[in-house]
Parts: sequence; C-alpha cells; structure tokens
Amino acid sequence: MAENGARADVRLTIDGVEVTVPSGTRVIEAAERVGVVVPRYCYHPGIPTRPAQCRMCLVEVEGRPKLEPSCTLQATDDMVVNTASDAARTARQAVIEFLLVNHPLDCPICDAAGQCMLQDYAYVTNQLESRVDEPKRIMGRDRISDDILYFADRCVICTRCVRFMRDVAEDDSLIVAQRGDKAYIDTFPGRELDNPFQGNIVDVCPVGALVHEDFVFKTRAWDMDSAASVCPGCPTGCNVTIDTKENQIVRVKPRHNAAVNSWWMCDYGRRHLVMTNRGVRADVPLVRDGEQLRPVDWATALDWVAGRIDALGSPGGSAVVSPDASNENLFYVERLLGRLGITGAAFIVPQGETAALPTVPTLKLRADRAANPAGAELFGGRRVDGLRNGASAGGLVVLDDELKGADEDFGGSADFFLYLGTRLAGAARNADAVLPIATFAEMDGTFTNFEGRVQRFHQALRPPGLARPGWMVLSRVLARLGDGEAVNDVRGAFERMAAEAPAFAGLTWDGIGLKGAAAAGSGAEAAGVAASAEADA
Amino acid sequence: MPGNVKVVERPRAESSYVRAAAKGMSITMRHLLSPNKKTQQYPDEKWELAPRTRGTHRMAVHEDGRAKCVACGLCPTVCPVNCIKLVPAEDENGERYAAIYEIDEFRCIFCGYCQEVCPVEAIHLGVHYENAEYSRERWVYDLERLVEQEHDVTALWDPQDPASQ
Repeated sequence: MAENGARADVRLTIDGVEVTVPSGTRVIEAAERVGVVVPRYCYHPGIPTRPAQCRMCLVEVEGRPKLEPSCTLQATDDMVVNTASDAARTARQAVIEFLLVNHPLDCPICDAAGQCMLQDYAYVTNQLESRVDEPKRIMGRDRISDDILYFADRCVICTRCVRFMRDVAEDDSLIVAQRGDKAYIDTFPGRELDNPFQGNIVDVCPVGALVHEDFVFKTRAWDMDSAASVCPGCPTGCNVTIDTKENQIVRVKPRHNAAVNSWWMCDYGRRHLVMTNRGVRADVPLVRDGEQLRPVDWATALDWVAGRIDALGSPGGSAVVSPDASNENLFYVERLLGRLGITGAAFIVPQGETAALPTVPTLKLRADRAANPAGAELFGGRRVDGLRNGASAGGLVVLDDELKGADEDFGGSADFFLYLGTRLAGAARNADAVLPIATFAEMDGTFTNFEGRVQRFHQALRPPGLARPGWMVLSRVLARLGDGEAVNDVRGAFERMAAEAPAFAGLTWDGIGLKGAAAAGSGAEAAGVAASAEADA
Repeated sequence: MPGNVKVVERPRAESSYVRAAAKGMSITMRHLLSPNKKTQQYPDEKWELAPRTRGTHRMAVHEDGRAKCVACGLCPTVCPVNCIKLVPAEDENGERYAAIYEIDEFRCIFCGYCQEVCPVEAIHLGVHYENAEYSRERWVYDLERLVEQEHDVTALWDPQDPASQ
C-alpha cells in the first residue's frame, strides 16, 4: 500500500494488455484502465468498504490455485490476470444461476429493466433455461422510507445500500436481516430511514430492488432522454443527469465529479430539481399598451424595449436579479444595467437548513437555496435581505426573481420597468415589458458554485411557447442598441462573457468540459479547484 | 360533320356479335354448373379464415375480467408504426396496469410484433376483418373496446405444424 507515502508503480498484464498503475490499486480498477469492466455487484467506486461477497468479479490470476475477487485483490508487479478465462466465466455463470434461483424475473414491470446489472450479466451467460424445479420464495415489497420502496424479491443482497448508509452517510439505519435465501434489507424495528442523503441508495442499487416511489412504473429506461446538468438547489452545484420523458423531468441522478459531489447528491436537490419547471410559466412577450400588457411577437417586443431604452439614455435606477440565473444571463443583464446607468443589482437568497455527508467534505447542502449567488456576486450584485419597494425613478430591471413580498405598486413609479422571467410574478403587473425566458433546464449555460467553480449545464427540456434563453433575448436587445451581436448558441454568449468579464477570462466552453473549471475572480480557493479539476481529468 | 370518314366493310362473319355472345354465355354456363365454383353468398356465408390470419386486436382478460396487460411497454417499443399508446400506472394493490392503452387500427399494419413480444400473452391480433365504422375516431381502440372483442385470436403458429416445416 501507499501508506508510507511512496506511490511506486506496478506493472501487470490484464487480458493480455500491459498496464502500469500506482501501487495499492485494486485489480478491478486497473482493469478499467485497459477498458475491461469486470462484472460486479457489491463493489462500488464511491463506497470504501469491499466485502467481496457477491463473487461476481472473480478473475483468474496465473500461478494462483483459486480464482480471486478482483475488487479486493491488489495489483502487484508481473501479475498476469485473465478476466475472461473459462474458469472465471464459469464461476460468474454459477453466481448468476444462484441469483436467479429466487429472482422473480419480473423484468416487464421492473423499473430497472434496461439499466439492470443482473439483466445484463444474465444475458451474457446465455443460460436461457432454469435448472430449478422448486417454487421461488416470495417476500413482497416494503416501504423503507417515506419515498423509497424495497422489492425484496429482486434484491441480490450486494449490500451497497447498507454500506452506503453505514460507511458513506455514517448512519447505521439499514441492515441485512436474516441469512441465506431469506436475507433482505430492512431498517431496525421502530426506526425509519430518515437521512438527507438516503436517495443515493436507489442510485447504487444494481438491480430494481430499491426504487423511488415517485418513479415507480412511470417510464421504461429506454423511453427516457438524458441531459448532463447541475443541481440548482444550493451553491454546491452537484453534477447531475436529468432524465426526461415527453418534456417532463422524471428522474434526477447524480453524475460523478470527484471535485464536487463525488458520486452522490442530497434528497433536497432531487425534489427541488423536479419542481423547478412547475408553475404557471410566462410564454409570450408582453408590452405595455395603456393600462394593460399586450402579447406581441419577439421582433416587436425587442424593438419596443430597445427603443424605450434608447430614448431613456442613462437615467440610473435599480435592479433585482435572481441568484438562480445563469452566468450568461447575469453577464448580459449587467451589460444592460451599465447601459441604463444602474450599478449593483440586488439579489435575495432564500435560506434553508444545511446537511452534510460526513465522508465527502465538498458535498454539503448549503444554507443558501439558490444555484448561483457566487455568480451574481461576481457580476457586481449586492446580497440583500428584502426588497425595497422599487419606488425610485429611473430604470428598473428584474431578472427572473419572483418578487415575493413586493408591494402592490412595486415598480409603479419607475420610468421603465423591464421584467425578464420564467414565470408571471404578480409584482410584474406594473412592468412596461415582460420577456419570457427559459429555466436552467430548458437551456445551455453555466453556474458558478460556492467555491468559484464554473460548471456547464445542458438543455434537457423544450421551453414553453415563445420563452427563450435569457442570454439569447438580452443579446438581441443589446444588439439593437449597438452593443455586440445577437447570439444564437451558448458558445457565443460564453465567449463574449469570457472576453469581457475578468472573472471568466481564459475560460472556454469546451475547456470547462462536463466537470467544470475555476473562475479567475473566485479568490484563494481557485488554485485548489484548478488542481482538483486536473486530478479529476 | 368531320371530313372524309373511311368506312371499312368487314365480312359479316367477323363483325357479328352472335358468335362472341354465344362464347361468353358458354363460359357463364360452364361456371354456373361447375362443381368447383368458388362464389359465396357473403355476408350470409363467410370465408373460413386461416388460424394465423392477422386482423384487428383483442385483449385477453383474467377470470375476474381485468385485462391481462401489465403495462410493460414492450408493444409500443416494438411497434414499427407507433400505433400503440400506453400510460402505465399503479393500482390499489400496488400492481402495474395500463391506465391508458390505445391502438390506432388505422395506423396498424398488422405485423403481429405486439402479440409476439407480449410477455403475459395479453394483446393478440384477431381472426377478424369486418371493421366498418362511421368515424375515424372509432378506429382508435381503447382498452375497454379491446377487452370487449369476441373474435378468435390469431395463432402464432399453425397448430398442425408448430415448427413451420
């Protein structure tokens, strides 16, 4: 092992390919470096304990009399490993056959079908007939928390969920009850599974034994579309995958990023993300026509807004931005505010309870319940506790803040009140123009997380009606005022932001990649973020 | 009047219809009296259809009248013309069932993949072809209508020759 600090490399051969790995690496991880994924159930890279109990990852090592579990076997010099020899394959086939003795084979109604490791491996063994005549044991289902169902018959007792709770969340609430073919996962009598990170046990389950209740029977795995995204629940910015069906978010899963969330995310984030697209959406541009707001097409709305701003000149005023807005949206709003002579947009960050995952220091549900307060600060925003009534004259620009607690006459005395929002907030009734914009799930963009890490998110849904990304809308308003060009894709918006905003200097859309990179203006932690990004790559 | 029309004088033997009419009548009489005649008095008499005829669908039911469908989603997945709409849901016993199951029989090409792929032998094609309707909407069969159908279901193989030899 590398406990003495010396990370000597060892050289071994896996399936005929030579590979050099640091000393202490397990064979199952070394094999992944040469593109060999050894079948596994109990091994999970994010769970530190390796009981080697599922016996799926058995491999043949030359010179050793018996097969070895590759998840615990350390790579050593001159080791010759064969992951697909006859002996290893026969052993794996036997494991699968044992697992299928009592498995109900209810793939047609199982939510894991299509993404199930038992299905995949059983298919590979090509053993189409069972040799068992006895009836299968039937255990039924159980509710192990308020939102997680446990289908005991499908369980392969890999204990990933038990070990996630015990070794990652450090919460001894799940156990394996009984032994042998009667074994099942359960909570202690009288205790409930009640942990802010418990949703991860569904993600680590290799089969369909653990299912979120709101996902049960909702869709088949192959009917979903997926997009890489970032959780907007708090400034941690956990990397996630959003699964959608028919333009609805049906599931959110954490996406691995060693520097941010490791393999996990919190339950608040899951619930929050599903809710982000609910509510009555603004889906058509509105401009003031006497007493009422009149729906118009985009060209008319943009010409009208640009004309008003052009006529106003630089009257000063105030602005409110949402801390959930993307960096690109904030950048373009800042440009527009500069044009109107407004400095320092206010932003309000809702607060909530915090929660931490003990073994992953970077992953924390933070008190700020917004995706991008760090970005709002980078663009000169001021954090405030509550709204002023907006009674000041001059311009008033609001970017996607719902203006909770605003007065009845909010913005009534402003010379020009521009509201850009995903929803029709009540306080927008005094607006001179309402421009509908897309939520983060409906566009491409970036967030800056609490430590200044700029992370990309990608479009998962189609925006409703005429709603368009904020940077697309604002770049067109500015282009009509002679400031830059209208951009049609996020690369254009990001490039302009990187060129003009010092905090983002040197960053490129492709350079950030799917794992994020540090913003230059994010202070002392930037160096650490950059280093961890490199290590991750 | 058009200009010069040339009138051809054909021999009477060629231009007479009597011979042709007699020939036609003889064919008619031959078929009328033939022991091998195929004409049927549809709709009083009907063809006996082959057991593997593929016609409009029918849903099999349990003894208590529930549809056998477990809403697994394989038939809409395999359907080459996307004529099956399925929305799964959970019933009061926690079982998966089809909350909405509709087959657009106008779109259907009667390939029989849905019957072949069904893991619980719920959806079947039927030995049936008389499907006149007064509106296009009536051609979208919902679950209730599929359950109500009474015609024979299509056999996936010939009972006399199960291995198709």
